[in-house]
Amino acid sequence: MKIPRFLKGTTIASLVAVLILPFVLPSTSLAIEVLIFSIAALGCNLLLGYTGLLSFGQGIFFGMGSYATSLCLQRLDAGLVTSLLLAFVVGGLVAAVVGGLSIRRRGIYFVMLTLAFAQMFYFMAYTASGLTGGDNGLLDVPRPPLRVFGFEISTLGASLSYYVFVAVLFLAIFVALRRIIHSPFGSTLLAIRDNEERATAIGYNTRYFKIVAFMISGSITAVAGGLYAMFLNFAPLSNIEHLMGEQILFMTIIGGTGSLFGSFLGAGFLIVVGDVLSAIWPRWLMLLGFLLIAIVLFMRGGLWGCIESLMGRFRGHQNTKKDPPLSESPTGSLSTKEEAKNER
Amino acid sequence: MTLYLFQVLNGLGLGMIYFLIAVGLSIIFGLLNFVNFAHGAFFLLGSYFCYQVVALTGNFWLSLLIAPVIVGAIAWFAESNLLNRVYNLPHAFQILITLGMALVIQESAIMVWGTVGKNIAVPDLLQGIVQMGDFAYPIYRLFVISFSAVIALLLWLLLERTRFGALVRAGSENTEMVSLLGVNIFKLFSITFGLGATLAGLAGVLAAPLRGADPFMGAEILGIAFVVVVIGGMGSFTGALVGGLLVGLVQSIMSSLWPPGVHLMIYGSMALVILIRPYGLFGRA
Amino acid sequence: MKRRTFIKGTLAAAATASIPIISIPASVRKALSAQGKIKFASTASVSGAFAENGKFGEMGSRLAVKTVGKVLGRDIDYITIDTEGNAGKAVRKVQEAINQDGVRFFCGGTLSSTGLAIGKEVASAGGVYITPVGADEVTGSECNKSTFRWSVPTYGAIEQTVRPLIGSFPNAKRWYTITPEYVFGEALLNNAKNVFKEKNIEHVGNSYHSLQEKEFSGYLTNAMAAKPDVLLLLNFGGQSSASIRQAVSFGMKNNMMILLAWSSGLEQFRSLGPDTLDGIYLGAQYWHEVDTPGNNALLELCRKEYDINPNYPIAADYTGARIIFDAITAAGSDDPAAVISKMEGYKYQGPTGEETVRAFDHQVIKDYYLLKGKPAKAMKDKDSFVDVVSSGKSFASQEESLCKMS
Repeated sequence: MKIPRFLKGTTIASLVAVLILPFVLPSTSLAIEVLIFSIAALGCNLLLGYTGLLSFGQGIFFGMGSYATSLCLQRLDAGLVTSLLLAFVVGGLVAAVVGGLSIRRRGIYFVMLTLAFAQMFYFMAYTASGLTGGDNGLLDVPRPPLRVFGFEISTLGASLSYYVFVAVLFLAIFVALRRIIHSPFGSTLLAIRDNEERATAIGYNTRYFKIVAFMISGSITAVAGGLYAMFLNFAPLSNIEHLMGEQILFMTIIGGTGSLFGSFLGAGFLIVVGDVLSAIWPRWLMLLGFLLIAIVLFMRGGLWGCIESLMGRFRGHQNTKKDPPLSESPTGSLSTKEEAKNER
Repeated sequence: MTLYLFQVLNGLGLGMIYFLIAVGLSIIFGLLNFVNFAHGAFFLLGSYFCYQVVALTGNFWLSLLIAPVIVGAIAWFAESNLLNRVYNLPHAFQILITLGMALVIQESAIMVWGTVGKNIAVPDLLQGIVQMGDFAYPIYRLFVISFSAVIALLLWLLLERTRFGALVRAGSENTEMVSLLGVNIFKLFSITFGLGATLAGLAGVLAAPLRGADPFMGAEILGIAFVVVVIGGMGSFTGALVGGLLVGLVQSIMSSLWPPGVHLMIYGSMALVILIRPYGLFGRA
Repeated sequence: MKRRTFIKGTLAAAATASIPIISIPASVRKALSAQGKIKFASTASVSGAFAENGKFGEMGSRLAVKTVGKVLGRDIDYITIDTEGNAGKAVRKVQEAINQDGVRFFCGGTLSSTGLAIGKEVASAGGVYITPVGADEVTGSECNKSTFRWSVPTYGAIEQTVRPLIGSFPNAKRWYTITPEYVFGEALLNNAKNVFKEKNIEHVGNSYHSLQEKEFSGYLTNAMAAKPDVLLLLNFGGQSSASIRQAVSFGMKNNMMILLAWSSGLEQFRSLGPDTLDGIYLGAQYWHEVDTPGNNALLELCRKEYDINPNYPIAADYTGARIIFDAITAAGSDDPAAVISKMEGYKYQGPTGEETVRAFDHQVIKDYYLLKGKPAKAMKDKDSFVDVVSSGKSFASQEESLCKMS
């Protein structure tokens, strides 16, 4: 039997990770948080690692997703699947607008646009307190049972059953993204990342590809936001802060943009280390600062890059061929200084 | 009507501080093509060093002299040991390393000075108000406006009338050409970066008696600085001046008209400017 | 006392495995488990953007744990939860403490949104939570069986500051307000408007500002234009410090009175300094110079343990923790339902004098203070920034309350 490639390699690694996570971490709730943010980081990775777009706006999609899910559950009394689907759609639409406008500029101007939008959405959510609960956030967000075609599969009441639900979604999104990346669409994204002029010259409508990448990313991130709201029974305003976008970005970069599995590593690392360190030393953010500096200086491939080079050394010169299109150096991916001179 | 006159005056005071912090960011971007997310942290350091000098010597004027210089020296050190390694990397890594620096500075400030904000008294000489009808205006704010204006003028002279300024301007146009002419471009980078940070530190000192010093003021001011730089045009001195005053005025006048919309409008106009006129009002195409 | 550690999950698993449960008869085992520790968690924002309150809050509950020592003859397992100034993180960590460590008793909470959300989470697990946050909803519209609140609501904060000030200065007829635009500010403003209406005060204007604002010169200029007799500040924390600092620099102390309805107490006064504070009226939940038996005891404990005077977060979380421990002792059990019933109606000597836990909405009935800043030369020690002008208890009645406990 021939196993498709997107089910091998890092997919197996993800499956194993998801299976052992609740047992190695001190609590299931920590494991749930890791997976939810892994999903968000996956969304960010598609933009940063595979399209070369550094977006500070991921918090917008995360927050909009959590509001959409919460409001759908509270006001429309809708089911779990419907609410998450709504978040998926809302995230995609918002991303189409935010992304569609932002990609009109490139390089640093693109980054600044996503920053401006992140602030604008935050202030809108803050002002629209009738809908969002303002600073108090939305309290009493229910976590309804999982029903498919009227059959109740699980109540999702216990944290382990909710973990399983989140884990299944995470794996599904992981596999789907891998398929997308290995599809012709994905290769086009990589081509845009590596040299947009060339991609345009070949005849690709790069704007169309970038917007679609944004929409996929927004939808995925919004689903993560929805899962987070149901997990906490609460949708705080901090979900849509620009700091949320920054966090997601940090996770993605720390994990490494060379592989989707890096997003899981990054989210897991930042959340678990943050949880441990914050209990030991209140000023742990300083270590995060040093870590960011160290990553830029010494390990630009992030955690995944480290693992890769370790594996490379371990394997020595055995002639093994592994996942070639993904392991391209992530550092060369974004616009360099020379390009930046004629960006905009 | 007098109300709006005073809001204009407020806006000028605010705008001049915004100018000081933004102009450094802008010059650094122009020459180094480098976005410094740690710029707000230099502002923060300026305020805290001011507090420290005043606490030790009781002399605000001394802090006005010393604090920005120390900030500049720290920035110069960081540039020549850390940041100079990332110039050829993509923006993502420049953003990441400066964000890391900002975090380290912020948390160090908390460790040294605690989480509770610090108060810095207005120097005796500048205490008091100017009374005009029903309104009053603090002398210190008038000082901030005029002192920043002098700094702006000196800076303009430096950029337009000296060899150093000519190099910075030429470097902003074409870095390679300048280095081919035999100029040590890395030294130029370091000095410019230090200068930008000194200006941010100076803004921090001037703002300290107005707002006090607290550990999170850096992150907050950075957002505004980006807005100013983008609206004025990245790399442009005039842009930073006009942008700073514009943002200051809008913020003040809006607080009489529609206060909740202040931030929405500021960031909205930033987005609008990038979309319609990416070089800002005064940037070069 | 131990901190949360990463390995605790594994340790706990190892510990349960090592206890020879099987060989002990059921009756003895039950007695043994009663000998186990009482788990008590402090939630405070120790890192992140609101660390100033969190640090002291945690010190307060730690002081209570140390002072009490044992409850029902059992040790207290003291757990600290750092909420990182982030309501989402806070809820996740409380959830973890409930499910993983079996904690049922919680105190603290720095931000309103955090306090509200933790209250919901603890309630769904049937635990006990006492908090000093500012949100009226905690013992109002969002009240629940598990959640208690030590701080006086906005109603009392206005009644005990605006009303006495009007009483002392009947000629101060024109009031201007500056209000942060969120639930807390809105609640203060509405309460103030009610007093204005009743006392025939002319409310000459209000400026709203967002929670991110740090520059108040614009709003203060609006206020000057309205020529008020009193400037009433309804914001909180760093924003109120910034407004006071800037109002003083605009010379507004000279031609009007300034009242900050909800100050954060000693730490805020320290950061503003006596020159700024001189002559300013301040509302406060707690002041360490008040002469009550409960406060004197706390003063002594706090000076001995930390060598500082207690401030509002220390007093609040110390008292909150003490109420829970007292109730556990009174109930003779750590069953949350039994503890809650002992807390309802509980009367004790607190830091502000005699305090009572009101049964129907779980609000602690205590004094609120009107303070006035004094000049540096009148301060008898480095912390004596203010004089107490007046104090008293004002609380909305059960009929007016929005709390409908199910």
